[in-house]
Amino acid sequence: MRVRAALFSLVAVALVTGAVYALRPVAPVLSLGVIYLFAVLPVAALWGFRWAVAVSLVSMLTFNFLFLPPTHTFRLANSENWVALAVYLLTAVSVSELSARARRRAAEADRLAREARDTEALRRSDAVKTAVLRSVSHDLRSPITAILTAGDVLESSGEALSGDEREELHAAIRLQARRLNRVVSNMLDLSKLEADAAQPAPELWTVDGLIARALEAIGPENQRIEAVLPEESPPVRVDPAQLEHALVNLLENALKFSSPTDRIELSAETVGREVVVRVVDHGPGIPANERERIFEPFARGANGDVGPGSGLGLAIARGFVQLNGGRLWLESARETGTIFALALPAERIPTAAGR
Amino acid sequence: MSNARVLVVDDEPQILRAVQMKLRGAGYAVETAATAQEALMKAGMRPPAAIILDVLLPDGRGTDLCRELRAWYSAPIVVLSAVGEEKEKVDALDAGADDYVTKPFSGDELLARLRAVLRRAAPSAERVITIGGLRIDLEKRLVTMDDQPVALTPIEYDLLRVLAQNEGKLLTHPALLREVWGPAFQEESNYLHVHVSHLRRKIEPDPARPRYLLNQAGVGYRIVDPAEAVLP
Repeated sequence: MRVRAALFSLVAVALVTGAVYALRPVAPVLSLGVIYLFAVLPVAALWGFRWAVAVSLVSMLTFNFLFLPPTHTFRLANSENWVALAVYLLTAVSVSELSARARRRAAEADRLAREARDTEALRRSDAVKTAVLRSVSHDLRSPITAILTAGDVLESSGEALSGDEREELHAAIRLQARRLNRVVSNMLDLSKLEADAAQPAPELWTVDGLIARALEAIGPENQRIEAVLPEESPPVRVDPAQLEHALVNLLENALKFSSPTDRIELSAETVGREVVVRVVDHGPGIPANERERIFEPFARGANGDVGPGSGLGLAIARGFVQLNGGRLWLESARETGTIFALALPAERIPTAAGR
Repeated sequence: MSNARVLVVDDEPQILRAVQMKLRGAGYAVETAATAQEALMKAGMRPPAAIILDVLLPDGRGTDLCRELRAWYSAPIVVLSAVGEEKEKVDALDAGADDYVTKPFSGDELLARLRAVLRRAAPSAERVITIGGLRIDLEKRLVTMDDQPVALTPIEYDLLRVLAQNEGKLLTHPALLREVWGPAFQEESNYLHVHVSHLRRKIEPDPARPRYLLNQAGVGYRIVDPAEAVLP
């Protein structure tokens, strides 16, 4: 550090001295002293005030020794030269101080900016946590409320209920408990995705197999889903649990946002080297200005907080699909209904597997 | 199977109680244990017809208990596991458990599993296996579904045969590979799921909603009679 500063200073002074020597025939030598500022300034900027003062002194001594009469001595012939030298020195020193101060300010500003960035990141992460809590507590509370209410009714007026009514309440408890379970797995998945801890464990599957898994995971509600399998189902190399989860989230989303009498269509086809799965619902659709935002965690439909679901589902679906080399996008721009499309790279399979 | 004795091992009193009530309602005699220690003692004194076991117990892993029991106990063991305990579940199956049920489970689901493992305790040596509309003639290597002949590749046939000979039983991926491909062909393991989906297209009325050849996520496959299956 020091050696480099010293070397740089010497080289700078030598260079400027050379320049002064070269310019001597075209300008009065006294006025050329100011060029030494080109040596002082970079030193001030790079190594601070002390080094700059040292370089100023060395510069002025060199200037005096080589160029001011009587040359090759440190003495000065007249008062005019004294004044000039003093002014140069003063200028060099003040410029050094100013430059060093600017350097300190820049460092300080850097530090402040860094701190501000850190604080902002903290604040944002805090805001995200608050959003998570709010949204999750809503998602947890509504099934809990449904379970508590059904349990209370069964307990307090069990005898007054018909068999059908009792069965309805039991079914509600089971359904809500399943929903609760899914909120918890969604939360686990999202935290894994955000922490980059969701390493896919790829296996060879067919889209058939993945669709069957997703439909089974959805349970009795899957009767509303009309599944059309492709003629040929090429294998895909994916983590089946992650893809199942992505499909379940898309299907649940479709079920949630369409009326109970509407059918959901689920289809798969091979397009070039990809297998494309589509989930089509006939719900209200998604306004153009919300189309990209829906894949962000905690985004919801326009009716905001009253809508069901935490808005984690689509973010998780896209996260898992991308982890497995696929794409997930919103396809439709129709008046009503929504089409989500999910594309996975098809695996080329050796003929041996066809046995 | 009524009055068969079942030992239930779980450290969560609420779950223990609910399982106990459900099993009693179905005509089983139920004993309970809250720790691995207590379970070993009770099973040792009077070996039950089956054991239902939580994979996470306060004084030791259910997997270890499973292994210890298997040293002398050959009747069925069904393990209970929760989300996030997939590794424990697979370990328990490797350690000799016959089947598993994932928490939260419904009582009917547990009963169905229990019935299946108890029935299998006495395997049959039939030459013709009938499961719902599926009929497999092992001597002639003929498969029909609802009296319609089904053409299968040799691997698909073996896969179906192994599953059918263990009707209702969960066969893990390694077990299926061993049985169908033999120990030398482990590298073909990659195609197991692909073969299953081909097989389903040939035997399932609706391959998107299989009712015979069921997948147990990340663990294995089983074949069931749809008429006896219970929705989870």
